[in-house]
Amino acid sequence: MTETTVILVLVVITALGFDFTNGFHDTANAMATSIATGALRPKVAVALSGILNLIGAFLSVEVALTVSNAVVRIQNSDGTPKESLTSDGGSALLLIVLAGLIGGIVWNLLTWLLGLPSSSSHALFGGLIGATIAGLGWAGVNWNGNGSKLDGVVGKVILPALMSPVIAGIVAALGTWIIYKITVGVAQRFTDNGFRWGQIGSASLVSLAHGTNDAQKTMGVITLALIATGDWTDTKNIPFWVKAACALAIALGTYLGGWRIIRTLGKGLVEIAPPQGMAAESASAAVILASSHLGFALSTTHVATGSILGSGVGKPGAQVRWRVAGRMVAAWLITLPSAAVVGAIMWYIGHLLGGGLAGALVVFALLLAAAGYMYWHSRKTPIDHNNVNDEWDSAEAPAEPVPAGKVSS
Amino acid sequence: MNSNLGFALEGAWKVLAASLILGAGLPALFALGIRSLAWGAGGDAEVDHARPNPAGTVLGYVLFAVVILGVLLGITFIVASGFGKALSFEHIYPTIIDK
Repeated sequence: MTETTVILVLVVITALGFDFTNGFHDTANAMATSIATGALRPKVAVALSGILNLIGAFLSVEVALTVSNAVVRIQNSDGTPKESLTSDGGSALLLIVLAGLIGGIVWNLLTWLLGLPSSSSHALFGGLIGATIAGLGWAGVNWNGNGSKLDGVVGKVILPALMSPVIAGIVAALGTWIIYKITVGVAQRFTDNGFRWGQIGSASLVSLAHGTNDAQKTMGVITLALIATGDWTDTKNIPFWVKAACALAIALGTYLGGWRIIRTLGKGLVEIAPPQGMAAESASAAVILASSHLGFALSTTHVATGSILGSGVGKPGAQVRWRVAGRMVAAWLITLPSAAVVGAIMWYIGHLLGGGLAGALVVFALLLAAAGYMYWHSRKTPIDHNNVNDEWDSAEAPAEPVPAGKVSS
Repeated sequence: MNSNLGFALEGAWKVLAASLILGAGLPALFALGIRSLAWGAGGDAEVDHARPNPAGTVLGYVLFAVVILGVLLGITFIVASGFGKALSFEHIYPTIIDK
């Protein structure tokens, strides 16, 4: 085995790791409302969502090889990597991809630890952008496209992120409002039962759409790495094992369930009743499907959060915790730059160590250390399927005062 | 930046329109279905404890059928686009075509 092959293996493992975090980070988007209203028991909800993500990932046969082209210039328009990055056997490109993926994973884990539903796509793009800036300079990033279509960081990432939660919020608010108007005079127990079914249906649709949308990003990244090292040449197809591995990784991640994020979305933002849950998930499903039909890239996380907020706005007398919403929006804003900073630092570390196997091994070890630390930290205040639905306000213990002079790490 | 903003706003309007029909319209039909079922069941299902009315039950299931058709359309759309096909509405009823 050559050095490059070992780096390639590290890239593939890291990419699957990212896919796994992508899965548990986004379980909440589809299932938080169903879990919060008791339409599905927590374990059943994550199992259903995992299976649908698995099916969804296999349905995405469309070649997603050019997924990174929208934001960084490391590929030609047909999907093959730039020759300047593969002249040394591919390790220049592998280092950028590896550093970028690590940036995405680290940010995903940190926001999970804080229970914040940030966008996994932004984390991935952010990591890749940071690593590319470090490796190729500012010109390596496709900021604005060429003006002929929606493209570049601004067109594909920033603008959709600003618009999609608003659109989803409007649709969900209107849907919630209409539903409550229509069902005036019907006994609450009767409506709640009916809407639980509607909720399960619409949440399933969101899970399926998530599998098709998100798993293919990782498939594209892995295939790009394989082409860079010459282990794959076909730009029209993706190796079957890549597709199967990505589908499994995202499904397992989803099944693990990001309980911290599920809790924030299901209990923290709004107290959700079944009619609101159905309105929110229907709005999410409709916005995700309509956007992908019109080639309008977006993050399922932003859409789901916008929908849930909207369902709180649309129900007369419902309480929306705007403080929690504010924290989320802050997390969205810094997701891309933060992942980029981590990606860039990882690239510099790898580069200083020669850009070869030693560098790759060190940054991979750094990733493992960071992931292990955050997992260990999460065990101090575990949130799982047993306490995910506890009351929000009583669970929030007042912050312990930090003694003056003591710096918390 | 400016051209991107234009493209994005153009897309946003279409997404908003389509989502309002599917994402708020279908749940509204579903709510009407529930209301009809309650009307059909009568008694404890409604706040005013009216008499059961079978027409409500029938209407309710018809409305649910429409909603399910809408959802099936959504699933067909996901699967079709995964296999490089698209849904076309040029004959009013949806057909699967090559992209």
